[in-house]
Amino acid sequence: MHKLVLSLIGSAAAAMLMTSTARAECGDVNMAEFNWASGELLANVDKFILEKGYGCNVELTVGGTTQIFTSMNEKGRPEIAGELWVNSVRVLLDKGIAEGRMHSLQDGPITGLGEGWWVTPKFRKEHPELDTVEKLIEHPELFPYAEDKSKGAFIGCPAGWGCQLVNVNLFRAFDMEAKGWTLVDPGSGAGLDGSLSKAAERGENWFGYYWNPTALIGKYDMQLLPFETEFAGKDNWDNCIAKAEQDCADPKKTAWTKSEVHTVVTDGFKKKSSVAAEYLSKRVYPGAVMNGMLVYMADEQASGEDAAIEFLEKHKDLWKTWVPADVATKVEAAL
Amino acid sequence: MASDSLIDWDKHNWIAPPVMGRGELRDIKKGIDGSFRSFTREYGEGIEDFFEPLLEFLVFFEKLLIATPWPIIFIIFGGLTWLGSRSWKMVVGTILAFSIIGWLDMWKDTMATISMVSVCTLLCIVLGIPVGIWMSRSDRVQSFILPVLDFMQTLPSFVYLIPVVMLFGIGKIAGLFAIVIYAIPPIIRLTNLGLRLVDKEVLEAADAFGAGKWQRLMGVQFPLALPNVFAGVNQTIMMSLAMVVVAALINVRGLGVEVLRAVQNQYLTLGLMNGLAIVAIAIIFDRVSQAYGKRLQKHRTGGHNG
Repeated sequence: MHKLVLSLIGSAAAAMLMTSTARAECGDVNMAEFNWASGELLANVDKFILEKGYGCNVELTVGGTTQIFTSMNEKGRPEIAGELWVNSVRVLLDKGIAEGRMHSLQDGPITGLGEGWWVTPKFRKEHPELDTVEKLIEHPELFPYAEDKSKGAFIGCPAGWGCQLVNVNLFRAFDMEAKGWTLVDPGSGAGLDGSLSKAAERGENWFGYYWNPTALIGKYDMQLLPFETEFAGKDNWDNCIAKAEQDCADPKKTAWTKSEVHTVVTDGFKKKSSVAAEYLSKRVYPGAVMNGMLVYMADEQASGEDAAIEFLEKHKDLWKTWVPADVATKVEAAL
Repeated sequence: MASDSLIDWDKHNWIAPPVMGRGELRDIKKGIDGSFRSFTREYGEGIEDFFEPLLEFLVFFEKLLIATPWPIIFIIFGGLTWLGSRSWKMVVGTILAFSIIGWLDMWKDTMATISMVSVCTLLCIVLGIPVGIWMSRSDRVQSFILPVLDFMQTLPSFVYLIPVVMLFGIGKIAGLFAIVIYAIPPIIRLTNLGLRLVDKEVLEAADAFGAGKWQRLMGVQFPLALPNVFAGVNQTIMMSLAMVVVAALINVRGLGVEVLRAVQNQYLTLGLMNGLAIVAIAIIFDRVSQAYGKRLQKHRTGGHNG
């Protein structure tokens, strides 16, 4: 029976019937809500559309990349990760996909995103000659560390984030300790944000890791510093830079890898609700729209839920292209 | 506009109480945030400079503990345990705990944690006991300070960490604020309580012998309150240790950082090991300070007090 139903999917005549069957099958879904602003927004928009449009009953699980992915990989829950930053979990993800336990529905839910090392715009203006990472790291004295003024502070990632390992290994690859830098672990996302906004508000120099799209980057107009070094290959990155320090004996200098963000679902979810999966594979936020929403969230101090409503009301033209007409009507009616 | 009025009647449905208009509420939040931002821009540097010596001391003390050879640390802590408890069992337990911590490669983090907790506890004692004394002498002061203490103990720490981080940046000073705010109430409360519980007749006797205010406080009232004060010190130590993980969230080095790393990566053993190291330090501190408090009491009842 199930096979028969699946085989009918392509048929336009059966589409209406199908949607309702799939809807009935959608049932309870456990979805990841990543603990940063765009992750919250994405999860809450998905939740609203899946619940009101497809009749799912969505429960959100909040967490970071490693946490959520480990749980998906080991337990198959959460079933949907809307904004999974692949770089830090690639090996395991590839394995999961190869084994058919997970599916990537979307390799770019948000356009124009990326990680890297950033400085404040004021610093860029005052030191136009230090326009690459390689030139800047020769001058640790411009970024004195509060707890040891003789060293420069490079603000890395909080422990447990995938990017922490990358920052540690790049720090080693560029020999920054010998150049007089210290790698500061901000302790948490709030610590990282606090350190960036304190410096930007006070007009102090700040050099550290961040990523886009984010409200903070937009709000303070932070500047991404390019690397002179080329990207030194996937092998160096995946098998050394992105690994724990002890598994990466000889990190090679490299530029940041291009960020890949996927929407990943478990096999169980894809089988359970193929129509909802189709929605997830279609929804793409242009970078500008996402940045606008993030600044809105920061300015209005809106929660992910509030921001989702705001997005659905403001950008109807956009999200209506993601769903079939009957679903769109239902979602709109629920607003 | 309706949504910008003091009460948003459009949304009122007799289920939840009337809410303020969304716009108004947002303006209030933005206004307060904005004025705090300009305050930090204006005075942040001055305030930071004021706390600079404290930061330097914290950094110095941590470096000192980390750089001290382990046999000396063993001798110091063994000696302190002996002075506090006069029990060989306790001394052996302390040395054993430190050996295991060292053997499991948590020495540096443990020293960092101990340095932070010691400075915070010391600061709590130095600030807390005078406040407790002041409180015990006036009901009006007490009625004013008690609710403040309730605030300090229940307000989630991240709420005041946001402004503190904006002022000081991440690091030891912000962590110190978090720890002291959370850990100082017990010592204030128990100093106050201990002093108030001292027998009125004893105080009258002191007055009758012509003791001055200061003499009466330091010679009679405070010594009699010591067991309670020590219970306060003990609680303060426990609470500052409990805050180590929260402080790690804003870049305070130590065992808390490893606990966080373990939680975020689901490293069961790492989490357990570092958690147990915190427990071991807590038990040592607790038993020693309790034993010391008890000895003070014993000496008093057995001796001249009668």
